[in-house]
Amino acid sequence: MNALPNALPSATRHQYFSFARIGAIASNTLLELIRLKVFYFILIFALVMISSSFFLVKLSFQAQFQVLKDVALGAMSIFTWLLAVLSTAMLLPKDIEDRTLYTILAKPVPRFEYLLGKLLGVLLLLFVALSLMSVLFVVVLYAKQQSAIAELTAHAAPGAMSAQMSAQIQDILSQTFTWNLVPGIIFIYLKAALCASLTLLLSTFASSTIFTIMVSVVLYIIGHVQPIARDYIMHNTQGASPAMIIYLSLISLLIPDLTAFSLVDDIAAGTAISTILFVKTAGMGAVYIVVYFLVGYFVFWAKEL
Amino acid sequence: MSTPAISIQNLTKEYSVPFRRERVTAVKDLSLTVEPGQVYGLLGPNGSGKSTTMKIVLGLVPPTSGKTEIFGRDSVEVDSREDVGFLPENPYFYKYLTGEETLHFYGKLCGLKGAKLRDRARELLRLVGLEEAADRRLGGYSKGMLQRIGLAQAMVQEPRLLVLDEPTAGVDPAGSREIRDLILDFKKRGITVLLCSHLLGQVQEICDRIGILHRGVLIREGRLDDLISIENQTEIILENASPELLGEIQALIAKTPARVLDQRKPHTTLERYFLDVTGSQ
Amino acid sequence: MNRRRIIAVLMLLAFGAARLPFEQKLAVDLRAAHFHGARLDLDMREQIGQMAFLAALSGFRALVADGLFLHAYTAWENVEWGRVKLDYDAVTALQPRCELFWQTAAWQMAYNASAAAINDRKQPREALRLKAQREYFKLGEDYLLRGIANNPEKPTIYNDLGMLYREKLQDHCKAAEIYRRYMKIPGALTYGERFSVYELAQCPGHEREAYEKLVELYNRGENEHLPTLLKWISTLQDKLNIPADKRINIPPPSVPPAKP
Repeated sequence: MNALPNALPSATRHQYFSFARIGAIASNTLLELIRLKVFYFILIFALVMISSSFFLVKLSFQAQFQVLKDVALGAMSIFTWLLAVLSTAMLLPKDIEDRTLYTILAKPVPRFEYLLGKLLGVLLLLFVALSLMSVLFVVVLYAKQQSAIAELTAHAAPGAMSAQMSAQIQDILSQTFTWNLVPGIIFIYLKAALCASLTLLLSTFASSTIFTIMVSVVLYIIGHVQPIARDYIMHNTQGASPAMIIYLSLISLLIPDLTAFSLVDDIAAGTAISTILFVKTAGMGAVYIVVYFLVGYFVFWAKEL
Repeated sequence: MSTPAISIQNLTKEYSVPFRRERVTAVKDLSLTVEPGQVYGLLGPNGSGKSTTMKIVLGLVPPTSGKTEIFGRDSVEVDSREDVGFLPENPYFYKYLTGEETLHFYGKLCGLKGAKLRDRARELLRLVGLEEAADRRLGGYSKGMLQRIGLAQAMVQEPRLLVLDEPTAGVDPAGSREIRDLILDFKKRGITVLLCSHLLGQVQEICDRIGILHRGVLIREGRLDDLISIENQTEIILENASPELLGEIQALIAKTPARVLDQRKPHTTLERYFLDVTGSQ
Repeated sequence: MNRRRIIAVLMLLAFGAARLPFEQKLAVDLRAAHFHGARLDLDMREQIGQMAFLAALSGFRALVADGLFLHAYTAWENVEWGRVKLDYDAVTALQPRCELFWQTAAWQMAYNASAAAINDRKQPREALRLKAQREYFKLGEDYLLRGIANNPEKPTIYNDLGMLYREKLQDHCKAAEIYRRYMKIPGALTYGERFSVYELAQCPGHEREAYEKLVELYNRGENEHLPTLLKWISTLQDKLNIPADKRINIPPPSVPPAKP
């Protein structure tokens, strides 16, 4: 047996806020989530994307690019959201069931840091997943672009590059890559991050993973019609019964407006977003994430373990 | 009088049951002190409030009324946990981490880092006998190995107090022996241990003091020797005693009010026999 | 614990009340920047079915539009013009910011459907065939006008509309106007200016204006002396009876030597 020194007061001084602790929990969470089958969703996404560009040859190039972009961005949107909800929903219940939560909180780790570490781990996962998907997206788009140009020049007489042809090539190039897509992808991330924060809040209320997932899905759907309720409440409430008003008010107040972040459809169709508008929308998203986290912490602080 | 390792003062914990008006009392007016350097056994049937008491001492659950302290610091404060290491019942830990990575993770949670953390992890792995398995994932560990890595994790920040919940449950005799030896070693170094176990034979072997909880109330408490020794009996164990000597002793006793209750060959324990035979140790 | 949860819900309600005006303002700003122009109402639900409607609501709007676009393509191959129009109506309502959809819809109506109408063997009366053809032209025009309304900053739709007025509807005044508006959009191609003037030349009552513009173009230099421009200058000079001393000398087009 080895010589451990005799028991002395603690070898480490306690810090009241420690990035190192949060970082340890966040990176551990990321590792844990990557190992799950959940990460293989990305492979399915890749397959969907690549196969989609095959069966549309009868459309014009413009239409093919449009559909490719829409399918890819739609898939990125839905898979990132799904990843967000599923990974977050199981974080707390799993730690409680495995009792690892006790070993962590029995160390001098404030509950705030534990919860924050968990959320950051999920946000990191989303970032990694979306980055991978984006790289794949760019690669496939580039391949399609090259094949379009190749097909175009194959029909031309060798050596003859008419002005019209180079204009057409320019056209193809401009339709594939636009920097406009970057804000669109950032919004996909923000929307998923918001849903993650909301799911974390829900999981502090209840202990069942399934319950949390179901409520999250319902909130996602209602989140897309919230603007209709909000419009109604803020502008024309004549003739509405009190019950209706209360119902719509609750929806407007409690549910986030997810359409505010669903901008990628319009961006892919060519709508540019100004910097101011981008900052306002992104800021709104960040506020949502922070508020949901804080309310979740408020509930988690008193949770009996 | 030094600060007690654990001080529980008039602790009460009540839970409200959903859809019912009355509340369930898990722990009722419990007062208890564990002095530094002791090995204390907290015993009781299922539902007696042992786990609840432990969780309150560790700050995982707030008390309804009363107070618990670790080395003078209120359990509610996060920094009171600098001085305590906890091994829960049937722990899982993170299966995909290796033994060494697990200790690194918990060490970081305690504020250790860099070379100090690495050295500490190595030291602990040696201490609990898991050096060879340090690079294997916990998913491949046996129950005994999991308990030992659990002990190592509890010790990572060199706490003065260890709280162990069923540390040998489900572990084979050899592993169980090793864990108990570790606990005795900790005691020699002056580390206080609070342990809960249903394996009363093992508790008897290593604890100095015990407390028995029943339905949330502490019904017996004190030094083990004082509680279970049978007052009016004496045990003398002789080696190489000849039959003549035995006869003389019997004759001597016959002249006094004392009487011989039993005379037989004492048994070694089944455990010792098993371990000798299976060749461990 | 339950008290905590109730307070948490109250906190969310308070947050909701605080953010509601910001959210409303943001939605208005986004709509002004051409976002969220899609029409998702009960008519749409009738048209595309419940599942597609739900998908469109849940952030799959673009994909539903693409799917309908493909469906319209198939309908066209089966020559089901009614189905084609319905699909394009839904597609453009779902994705009004994609100019491709407006342009394809207009092309299908004004070029394909109209050709089918004029060649319709089942309709013996020519007058009715002409009428149907013209109706399809108008449908194409309608799509392009709405396309422009939803995408005022995209030049290609204007160009398509100009071509429609020029070739199919033979409305040179409108064509001239559209080309003029086209030239104001960044990214417009230079021939738009010339086309605008050529059409203006054919718009009754605007010949003088057109002539002045043609002269202005001519005076810009050799690059502008394209055959069509020269042809129009000489035509208008005759039509407007421009005095000889003010005329620009346009040499007659050279006749290629007769083949032996």
